[in-house]
Amino acid sequence: MADLRRVAITGLGVVSAVGTACGPFYASLLASQSGIRALDMSFPLGTESVLAGSIDFDPNVYFSKAKLLTLDRVSQLALVAAREAMAQAGLASDVQSYWGGLKRERFGVAIGTGSGGSGSTDAAYSALLEQKVARLRPLTVVLSMNNATAAHLSMEFRLMGPSSTISNACASSANAIGDACRQIRHGYADAMLVGGSEALLNRGTFKAWQAMQTLAKPHADGPHASCRPFSKDRTGLVLSEGSAMLVLEDWDTAMRRGANILAELAGYASTTDAHHLTQPEATRQADAMRLSLLDAGLNTSDIGYLNAHGTATDMGDVVETQAIKFAFGTAANLLPVSSTKALHGHAMGAAGALEFVTSVLALRSGQLPPTAFLEITDPRCDLDYLPREARDVKPLRAVMSNSFAFGGSNSVLIAKAV
Amino acid sequence: MNSDVVHLFTETFGIAPDRLVPGATLESLGLDSLAVIEFLFQIEDRFGIQIPDQANPPRTLEEMALMIEPLMPQPATGSPAA
Repeated sequence: MADLRRVAITGLGVVSAVGTACGPFYASLLASQSGIRALDMSFPLGTESVLAGSIDFDPNVYFSKAKLLTLDRVSQLALVAAREAMAQAGLASDVQSYWGGLKRERFGVAIGTGSGGSGSTDAAYSALLEQKVARLRPLTVVLSMNNATAAHLSMEFRLMGPSSTISNACASSANAIGDACRQIRHGYADAMLVGGSEALLNRGTFKAWQAMQTLAKPHADGPHASCRPFSKDRTGLVLSEGSAMLVLEDWDTAMRRGANILAELAGYASTTDAHHLTQPEATRQADAMRLSLLDAGLNTSDIGYLNAHGTATDMGDVVETQAIKFAFGTAANLLPVSSTKALHGHAMGAAGALEFVTSVLALRSGQLPPTAFLEITDPRCDLDYLPREARDVKPLRAVMSNSFAFGGSNSVLIAKAV
Repeated sequence: MNSDVVHLFTETFGIAPDRLVPGATLESLGLDSLAVIEFLFQIEDRFGIQIPDQANPPRTLEEMALMIEPLMPQPATGSPAA
């Protein structure tokens, strides 16, 4: 693989339940500040209180009224995260600006989303079936289509290279990032704006998830403490919204234009359980971790932090623990692992990107975010999950991020220090 | 342009009324063809009129006004019969 191009990460951006922009986002994670709350949601049969990682986000701060007519929330969140990532990469949003030789025809977009513009879909069904309107908004299709976000990102920055949208449930954006990395490695693009976005806190999506019986119950300490990965008293996942975006570049191109390289996207692998729609499978998860290490040319001992998928479902956390042991062997006992979903919730299609950004921030800062609310040890989950307290560590060589999805998609990303 | 339409326009797009001069292109006001269609649907719903499908969508406010105003409900005229 020596002839493949290296991939630099030059920009990061986040909009999440625990903060907009990387600084506030990561500070919240380190301080165990939860973005999970109880929301009153109105259903046809009455109002219900639901747990969610929702964002206090006023789109009017970022977009004109005319622009907002064309943007579902899923695209709004992505555009705001992308603006941060592109600015950090030194790539001005002015479409006329010169990006140090980085050509827009060689700059692509890759996005992961589970539900796309599901808020617009939900609103359309409500208008049709509850309000009994004769026709829907003319923009309904282009608001709700899954690739609308990628389209808006390409138009905002005039990126004309390859564009793709991956919908692999909870692994969507990890796959999008990994596949985009390969686009650069193999020379199909010189740069990619990548990540994920999800805005699914709407009625139809909630009712569907309630029926899956995997959602967390409110905790006695308060709604904020209801997502408890790896803790024996965990009761399930908490749906959340958010977006995380990264700028990936061919290493040499980034060096030539004098970009500040934050980390190297060194490894990616993807496997499939081919087993069950919802039951995870440890051996194929472990294979994804092993293959990503092989892809990065790293050993298990090089990984100084693993951001687990860690959804706080009973089975998911146990199976992931087994998978980490399979992949890391005895090194698993020394590996700091945490699930930050306890704080930002499960952002579904955006989760992989949100947590890969988290991993890169850990790599750069040497401060590892905890697994908040891990208060009762589960004997079946017996790794070092960084319970409740952030940890300062020696400079890290590399970090790993796991994303495992309904449908059996397993994706693992590795970032390496510069 | 009909003041009710102007009001709906400013309400929908957040554009200050003083920018709504007849020759202004919709593009210069930040509206693409999809936004214009969205607005025409809103006018139909608000005023209970039906705007025929357009082979050439309006490009300026003036063209839009010419398309809409003949269709708008007319205020009642004349004295009621004694």
